Parts: sequence; C-alpha cells; structure tokens
Amino acid sequence: MTTLLRVEDLEFKQKPKRGFFKKQSKFTLSKVSFELNAGETLAILGENGSGKSLLGKLLVGAEVPSGGHIYLNGQKLSPYNLKQRCLNIRMVFQHSNESLNPGINVAKILGNPLILNTKLNASERQKKIEDTLKLVGLLPDHMFFYRHMLSDGQRQRLALAKALILDPQVIVADEPFAALDPSVRSQTINLIMKLQKDLGLGFIFISHNLGIIRHISDRVLIMQDGNLVETGKTDVIFNWPKSEYTEKLIKSHQSLITPR
Amino acid sequence: MALLDIKNLTLEISGSTGWMKALDKVNLRIEEGEIRALVGESGSGKSLIVRAIVGAIPDNWRITADRLTWRGRDLLTISRSERRKIMRSEIAVIFQNPVSSLDPSATLGEQLMESIPRQIVADTWFWQRRKKRLQIAIKLLHKVGIKDHQKYLHAYPHQIADDIAQKFLIACALVSSPQLLIADDPTRGMEITTKIQVLKLLSQLNKTRNLSILFVSHDLLAISSMANKMTVLYCGQTVEDGKMVQLRKRPLHPYTKALLDSAPSFRKDLPPKSPLTTLDGTIPTLQHLPIGCRLGPRCPRAQKECVKVPELRHVQDHFYSCHFPLIREKE
Repeated sequence: MTTLLRVEDLEFKQKPKRGFFKKQSKFTLSKVSFELNAGETLAILGENGSGKSLLGKLLVGAEVPSGGHIYLNGQKLSPYNLKQRCLNIRMVFQHSNESLNPGINVAKILGNPLILNTKLNASERQKKIEDTLKLVGLLPDHMFFYRHMLSDGQRQRLALAKALILDPQVIVADEPFAALDPSVRSQTINLIMKLQKDLGLGFIFISHNLGIIRHISDRVLIMQDGNLVETGKTDVIFNWPKSEYTEKLIKSHQSLITPR
Repeated sequence: MALLDIKNLTLEISGSTGWMKALDKVNLRIEEGEIRALVGESGSGKSLIVRAIVGAIPDNWRITADRLTWRGRDLLTISRSERRKIMRSEIAVIFQNPVSSLDPSATLGEQLMESIPRQIVADTWFWQRRKKRLQIAIKLLHKVGIKDHQKYLHAYPHQIADDIAQKFLIACALVSSPQLLIADDPTRGMEITTKIQVLKLLSQLNKTRNLSILFVSHDLLAISSMANKMTVLYCGQTVEDGKMVQLRKRPLHPYTKALLDSAPSFRKDLPPKSPLTTLDGTIPTLQHLPIGCRLGPRCPRAQKECVKVPELRHVQDHFYSCHFPLIREKE
C-alpha cells in the first residue's frame, strides 16, 4: 500500500489579536502526525473544542498552519497554493443544507468548481456533472433542481458530489452523518464505502458516533484539548485502549449497547 | 390508571392542497413511573405529538381524537386556564435545543428563580422570598448535578456548554415537581460522555421520584439504554408499540427492523466495512404522502393489500400495524 497523505508535526497557534482591551484567547493545536493510505478511512474523535474541526480545516487549507508539513503522494503541499490543494483534498461540511447555495441550481453548484479549477469547456463540464450525479446515485435531471427541492438524503449526496467533482484523492468530512436520520444515514455510509472501493479515495471524517467509526474506519485518531491522545488501528484502539480518556469513551459506548 | 392516554389522535394541517393528515390515528399510553420512548425520523410527527399534548397549537391545525386524557380528564374539552394549570404543575417539557430555548437576555439564575411558583414561597414574608427562591434554585441545581452553582447562576445562556444548559432546563422543569417529563430530543448533538450524564440523570429521577418520562428521540442507542417501552412512528402513523426488550429482540414491523439494523453498534456479528441494510428512498413530504400504509413504497415486503391502512394488531402487549409482519410463518 502506498502512503497517500502524510502529515508531519502539524501545529497551529492562534495569533493573539493586537489591541489594548481585547482579551487574548489562545488556542493551540500541538504537533500532530499521521499517515493515510489510499482507500483507507481515518476517523477523528474528540470532545467539542478539542481541535478536530481545526485539524480538518488545516488539511483542506482553510487555515494556515504555523508549523509542520503535509505531503500528498510524497509531494509537499504549500499552505498558500490553494488551487493545488483544492484539486486534491476536498471537504464535506456538517450541514449539507447550509453549505449549498439556495439561489443557484444544482448544475451551477457543481459547475462553479469546474469553471474555477479546470480548463473544461461547456459541453465537457456538462458531461462531467452528469457523470458525477450518476456516481452518487442522483439522476442527470437533478441538474435543474434547486436546494429546496431536494430531500435530506439527496442534499447529502449532492454535497458529496460537490466534493467529488474535481476527482480528489482525499475527502475530509466534518460530521457528515450527525444531522441525518438513521435510514438516510446508512444509505450515505453505504455510498461512501462504495465510492471508496471504486475510486480508491482516502477518507478522513470527524464524528461522535463510535458505532459508525468502528464500522467504517481503518484508523482512529483521538484528540483532547488540542493534543493528540492516541492513534492506531480501529480494533486495537477499541479493544486495548492505552490512554484513560479513550478507555472512558469506549466504556461509555459499551454501556449504552449492552442491554440492562 | 394511565397518566396520559391518547387514542386515535389525528392532526390535520391546512395547506394549499387542503387538509393534510400530519398525524394519522396515533396511539400512545404512558403509565405511572415508566420511561416511554417515542422513536421516529424527522418529519414523522414526534414533535407534533408533543405539541398536541402541550396544547401549543396554531389556528390552522385541527385536532381530533377518541381520547386525549390526562389522569382521566379530557384535555381537549377542559377550559384553557385549567389546561394551563395542568401544564404548569403536572407536566413539564424540555425542548429540543437547550441553549436557544433559554432567554438570552437574562442570567440563568434569574430564569430559574422566576420559574419557581408563588405557592412554594407563599408561607414566608415578602422580604424573605428572594432568599428562599435562591435556596431552592441552588438545591435544584445540585440535584441535577451542577455543583458549581455560583458560576452558573450568574452566567448568560451563551456562556455555558450545551450539556449544562440541558441539565439546567431539566432543573427548571423539576421546579414544580411534575409527574410527567416530556423530553424532546434531549441528547441531540451531544458527545457520548455528556450524553450518558444526561441519560443517567433522567433515569435516576425516574427511580427516585417515580417520574414518568416521555423520551422523544431518534437516537436508538440512547433510547435502548434507558427506556422500558417504545413506540415507533413513521410519517405520522404508529408502526409498532411494545416493551423495549421485546422490540429489540424481535421486531415485527419491517420499519422497526430497518431502524434497528441501521445502527451498526447493535450488531456485533457485522464484519467491518460491510454494507449496511437500508430501506430505499427517503421519507415522503407531507404534500406527497402515499395512501394506505405510508411505508408502502419503501417497504421490501409490500404487496397489493398495503394500499389499505393496516389495522392495529397485537401479540400479547406487543402492538403492530402491518399486513405482513415479520412473524416466522409455519412451514
């Protein structure tokens, strides 16, 4: 297996804003390193405010790290070359509903990244949009729909299509399943697993749901207060947790599953 | 006698296409001291039931029911002020989003003290009442597990964490020592450790105070760990109703089975990365409800008869409404 994404000592310090009367809020993400192979899934787990969303943002380039490097296929990614970044690492947001523009139709939502990042002409773009819609289980006719005409599950598929349209190698998803109903959620999980198998995507996702993490991820990364607590293979972490915090999380999950 | 007894509750909403049945003959019964879970996906009408019980109904809704009684008193016919009295002292509700259901312009202490009814402090002189209220508030906060009361009584809602706000709302609900607590999705969006704290608190209250709880949620994991009985709702129709243990072991309705299967945590034998079983399609909108059994178009076992609404049948105290339940046929 080839290493797709390698992250070395990535860290982030919030610069205090200058001003006499402003409170200085400091949040730091201490050094994080991990590796991701092609076709693998990494789950990031942690409390609110533990820096997991920040890590996601650093990976897609929405925030500039204050230290450390990200390598994609052995090639170093510059924090300022956003075009290269967004062609290869794409993000799916937590609320697919709010991340879609209500004023333009699906064809434009999907077309805009193509116009900005590729040199395809109009008919090639059209074809690409149709293909991507089919890939995520929507119909080409959905191109003329607006956001409000789609159901929850379809919106989630569209958000995924928006991420997939540039043929990325890595997808970062921030709580993609949290806002979904159980039946739609398992549809989305199945879709992601199928796409991953077919396209060999690396998939990084942030979640609270230990059941889903256990089911679909290969590796787990656990964070607390901006620190990396533990990382390793999923079944190793779930069966033999090393740190106290991880143990507590897993125990509480187990206590919910086992009937009284 | 049951605390709350609902039979054939139908709620219609008037829209551009006429009256739409948002709830279709829903049955629900809560006994004293039990935790009943109400499960359904979004748009299944869980919150509508809560609003129908509470009485927060706009003009363009129409409610009809064979029975909607609270301890034998018909909630649909009693006067408004009497109904309000019941809501004030006997039923308490905690709503979905804890932070946004608090008043952002007042401190938590002010809000909690305001919710203490006058009768409780009536036997003291008026200059002692503030102090008495404060004492009661602190006691309540300790009861729900907020130890640092000094810090939180003077905090505004935006300054506190989600789980603290949730506990705080539970404290507010407990002021008038109600008999029924309706919790509308109390663990939504919480992480697992805080979720467990809230769940433990609720089941503790159930045991120590004999408080009945109607637990409305779609988080099966949370529900199965604490509820005694469960009612499953799909698109405004009750699908299945029975004891939690029974339902989990042997669901009779295909929808309940699909719901249980969709949570990978319940299935230990499932190999990692294998596809999960799902129902095709999504929940229909109110404007496009199918006739008959509303699960019909998505159901793997659907046949011709499913265009008629199935009657409620039962095996002992396990109710279900399906023409083709998942009972093993005799060979």
